[in-house]
Amino acid sequence: MTDTPSPTTSDERDEFALSCHDLKKSFQGVMAVSGATFEVPRGMITALIGPNGAGKTTVVNILSGMMRSDSGRMMVDSTDVTNWESYKIARLGLMRTFQLSRELGGLTVLENLLVAPQHQSGESLFNIFFRPGRTKREELANAQRALEILNTYGLYELRDSRARELSGGQKKLLEIARGIMAAPKILLLDEPMAGVNPALIDRIGGYILDLKAQGMTILMVEHNLNVVEKICDHVIVLAEGRTLATGRLSDLRANAEVVQAYLGEVISAGPAH
Amino acid sequence: MSAFWYYVFTLVFFLFDYFILAMGLNIQYGETGILNFAYIGFVAIGSYVTGVTSLPNSVGTGQQYILGWGLPFPINLLLGGLASSALAVLVAFIALRRLRTDYLAVVLISLSLVLYDVINNYVPLFNGADGLYNVPEPLAGFFKLTTNSFIPFFAAVSGVVALIMWWVMHRITNAPLGRTLRAIRDDVEVSSALGKGVFRYQLTSMIIGAFYAGVGGGLIIQFGGSFNPTAWLPGETFVIFAVIIVGGVGNNVGLLVGALLVETLLIHLPAFLPAIPGHPGLIEYIDTMVVGVLLMVMLWFRPQGVVPERIRRSPISLVKRPASAIIDVAAPTEPVVAPVGNPAIQELP
Ligand SMILES: Nc1ncnc2c1ncn2[C@@H]1O[C@H](COP(=O)(O)OP(=O)(O)OP(=O)(O)O)[C@@H](O)[C@H]1O
Ligand SMILES: [Mg+2]
Repeated sequence: MTDTPSPTTSDERDEFALSCHDLKKSFQGVMAVSGATFEVPRGMITALIGPNGAGKTTVVNILSGMMRSDSGRMMVDSTDVTNWESYKIARLGLMRTFQLSRELGGLTVLENLLVAPQHQSGESLFNIFFRPGRTKREELANAQRALEILNTYGLYELRDSRARELSGGQKKLLEIARGIMAAPKILLLDEPMAGVNPALIDRIGGYILDLKAQGMTILMVEHNLNVVEKICDHVIVLAEGRTLATGRLSDLRANAEVVQAYLGEVISAGPAH
Repeated sequence: MSAFWYYVFTLVFFLFDYFILAMGLNIQYGETGILNFAYIGFVAIGSYVTGVTSLPNSVGTGQQYILGWGLPFPINLLLGGLASSALAVLVAFIALRRLRTDYLAVVLISLSLVLYDVINNYVPLFNGADGLYNVPEPLAGFFKLTTNSFIPFFAAVSGVVALIMWWVMHRITNAPLGRTLRAIRDDVEVSSALGKGVFRYQLTSMIIGAFYAGVGGGLIIQFGGSFNPTAWLPGETFVIFAVIIVGGVGNNVGLLVGALLVETLLIHLPAFLPAIPGHPGLIEYIDTMVVGVLLMVMLWFRPQGVVPERIRRSPISLVKRPASAIIDVAAPTEPVVAPVGNPAIQELP
């Protein structure tokens, strides 16, 4: 397994959309992340698993620039983004969703999506008053695309509702849709299926597979190993803030450490194979 | 002109003026979520700068002040607005770059107190505690106005200025810029994670709002001909907050309603009531209390204001549903992964 990574060559870099090396983060002396090192292969779906409190959300927060690591490095494509502010990382094409949904509550569902495109003409005072035609055309094109995405995600009918009025499952969908609207290359999903009903879990799984088919790189935090088995190509196991193992889920099952740290009783209780 | 009409036109002037002031605070607080507790300071700077760019050279006026350019209306008003915007840039770089919202509010209050003390005590700037007076009546010579006809005339001018500024604000808040500001208001961190350079937008919002504050302040000194520290006690900021909270945060029409209810009906109208015998000034105190109580009642029972922020609907030209596969939230599609039991992990192959 990959506890001690060798320096990456340029070939390997092309292979990975996102990587981090020895990330550490503590909160008032409590180590939440204590040496996370892994690579996220391009164009694949990678699962980030680990027990509660393993530091998965903290890692996602660091990778998206919303939190600063105490030490360690991270790369998006071949750009070193260590300590970058989140909006700069987002502009490189990395979008994320949140474990506890964070919709823009006062905005409508459609507006939540319309915020996402980068560098809109209509975000500049000058363009609003001196290039109204261009601003309007761009806005209509964005709205068209947003409505198509909402349609795909089953939120079309809710387009003019305030986002704060949505149900939990709908908010989860909205967050993914909002991320997609920004046309990202990399999508970080923090437990996209937590707390939603089984039918919706299937649908979200389908959406994620579609995104992969479109060439997107996905890193998702997921507790449900059944889902991981079905849709993820690659798994990273985090325990007590450290990367414990990486590989295919079937390989990891053979790893005694992983079984002990996470899969534990669950595996041994399962059917023999 | 009878005293009655004089009062009426004064009320009309302050209605328009507070509408402008409310629009400025609303883009900062209502749209962007910046709790600008120093707002009245920006109003004051606009007022003073409009005054000193309109007054002639200070020699022989019996007042001390900087500039004294003797510029005509509306150039001096514009300069008042721009001076206030310049202050906003300074304040934004001091206070907004690092501080979180709650600290920011405290820093802004402190800044407004410092500004107040400096202007009140440093006489060469804007004549200290006496303030500016004898500011020329704008356009009075041009239109051959008398002291009597100036009041309704300038009330009308302020209406025109308010209308133009409403149109500009309407364009801004309905553009993608306004939407991004509201996104920042709703969640700063999420907006940043969506690629928005939050500081740039907060700065823009501060500059626009301060311009409105400055113009609103400039109109006050042009209307009354004088302005001094009693006109902008730091607590005045909360009257403008009351206007936007009562009217409806995030709604430009609501702001006019708020200005009418709070500024015209509660603050100014009672000032014209006969004093309660034996208790001069009591009405004003009751007034302030009523505004405070009204603010609390609104925040408690109707935080969205009399005219709530409206829902911005999808563009009418696009309401036709896209042709691609139609899915409904209520109707789940075919399972893509096998149905998952609970907790499901035992089913691992
Ligand atoms: N902002 C914070 N302040 C203090 N402690 C924190 C903070 N965020 C996380 N922690 C702590 O860091 C550790 C890791 O938390 P984190 O949320 O990253 O875990 P997780 O793997 O996402 O867990 P879960 O599966 O429950 O979502 C936990 O012990 C948590 O209490
Ligand atoms: Mg988590």
